[in-house]
Amino acid sequence: MTWSFDCVAGPYKGITGGVAWNGEWILFSAVQEERILRYDPATGAVDDFRRYTGRTNGIATAASGEVFGAQEGGRRVIHFKADGSTAPTCDLLDGKHHNQPTDIIVDKQGRVWFTDPHNPVAPYGPPVYPFLEHGSVLRLQRGPNGAWTLNRITADTKEPRALLLSADEKNLFVGEGNAEMGGRCQLRAYALDANGTAGACKVLYEFGEGERGIEGMALDSEGHVIACGGWKKSGSGPAIFVFAPTGELLESHGAPFDLPMRCAFGGRDMVTLFVTSGDGRLYRCDAGGRRGVSRSAGAA
Amino acid sequence: MQFEVDMRAPEVERIIGTDHSLEVIADNVTFSEGPVWDPRTRQFYYTDICGDTIWRWKPGVGCEVVLQPSAHANGMCFDREGRLLVAGWGGRTVFRFEKDWSVVTLASHYQGKKLNSPNDIVVRSDGQIYFTDSPGGMLNVGMVGDDLQKYLDIQGVFRITAQGKLILVTDDFVYPNGLCFSPDEKLLYVNCSRERLIRVYDVNADGSVAKGRLFYQYTNTDRGNPDGIKCDVEGNVYCTGPGGIWLHDKQGNVLARLKVPGHPTNFGFGDDDWRSIFVTTVGNVVRTRVNVPGVPGW
Repeated sequence: MTWSFDCVAGPYKGITGGVAWNGEWILFSAVQEERILRYDPATGAVDDFRRYTGRTNGIATAASGEVFGAQEGGRRVIHFKADGSTAPTCDLLDGKHHNQPTDIIVDKQGRVWFTDPHNPVAPYGPPVYPFLEHGSVLRLQRGPNGAWTLNRITADTKEPRALLLSADEKNLFVGEGNAEMGGRCQLRAYALDANGTAGACKVLYEFGEGERGIEGMALDSEGHVIACGGWKKSGSGPAIFVFAPTGELLESHGAPFDLPMRCAFGGRDMVTLFVTSGDGRLYRCDAGGRRGVSRSAGAA
Repeated sequence: MQFEVDMRAPEVERIIGTDHSLEVIADNVTFSEGPVWDPRTRQFYYTDICGDTIWRWKPGVGCEVVLQPSAHANGMCFDREGRLLVAGWGGRTVFRFEKDWSVVTLASHYQGKKLNSPNDIVVRSDGQIYFTDSPGGMLNVGMVGDDLQKYLDIQGVFRITAQGKLILVTDDFVYPNGLCFSPDEKLLYVNCSRERLIRVYDVNADGSVAKGRLFYQYTNTDRGNPDGIKCDVEGNVYCTGPGGIWLHDKQGNVLARLKVPGHPTNFGFGDDDWRSIFVTTVGNVVRTRVNVPGVPGW
């Protein structure tokens, strides 16, 4: 069955990136415009959720209603507070400033997981602090006093772009590799123990040489991984993929726009998939009747 | 340690001399800024933005902490009463040390909205305080405070009147950074780190300014952007730029580039004759000597 995509917002300057459902709105990033917009699926209205985001890409909504952003321009994860202010978290990994976070999720415990690859676009400010030699999945955790600490989760990734937790949070899916930087791309899974420590890497799917891998993912109610990837430049083109949790590629739906970026289910019934893109738009699609899973407030 | 001078105009030796040696006066910094000489106590003050500290250095004695943490303080100057004024950057205020070194906030909001991140600061002879309000202290790695949200739609140059009123001087800038007056205070120079230029404004009697004009546009591709800016007593303009500190005559013509190593961020004239230039860099603070003195600070 063919998926059809309708543009519901944009175009914005540059790409649209992070996208998340908060139970009421679809929040999405116009990264270069340094804005997070909100789309109301009931009315179709679009307005600003936040301005001056410092090139925030990934957006995550917590069950508590809190909203977090992966600020590529500032090399940090930020917390968009309800009063309109924006708080930093912890941007030091063992005393060193990490790289440029791009994708982000919040688990049931309120821990914030993000991918921390290198980015061809330099961050803001003078280059005082070198980048880490590794690009990893990192996780923020709040202590009893509210202070954040930061831990490294993956030890074998280089340029992780996308991440997703299974519904039981026992499996971490990672879209590894940046084809734009010449890397080979994979979909990986890491089993997580009770503390959330990652076990050995399982490569679930390997993209071909020069093929663009996964930039963003969403989970459906059957545990499938819905993934944005591909490009016009090579391979089978831009697409939304459906993977079984075991990594079997079940479906590939060609996208009528280049560089599918990130995706999230949203809307009242969670049956609409929202996709951001290299052409700076927000698209909606019915996703063949698939239903999403969300940890955000208001989404049962 | 020596530094190179290139782009020399024929007359430049008269201004900067022939001895281009550098003396390291502090290397306890990650990213130093805010250089200012206190002629009363003959001490040199500077900040370490990343190290979150305001320091002072006394010749022959050494360095001492003035304030730590410092809310990632940036530019500094003295007012006419000898009180140290600070562009509070990560803390998003302008504040003053009183004579007893207690701290008083002078500006934190404009039209009800929090300032961006005050960057550099200078005082006019009538006591008005001028500062730039660029956005970097809400973004730059290792330099931010506890609220990173930008609320204002401008990156202003502001002045604080003797009565404590905050007034917008100009909103011409993408990233206003260094600012200084000409020796007669008839001109205000302001540079922009993002557009890599210097603008100059005629200053009115009340401290407001007329429409600005371009003084110099940097096109050199070496690393470094306009940041610190100061005039000497003849009205020549020193400005950090690509590859070092650039020296311009009053018309903007380039007289020389002082290739101080280590990425200079700012500099200030000092010592009793105001013929030393203290340069803050990424990693240390150095001092060199020139022939024509700088405009004395308060």
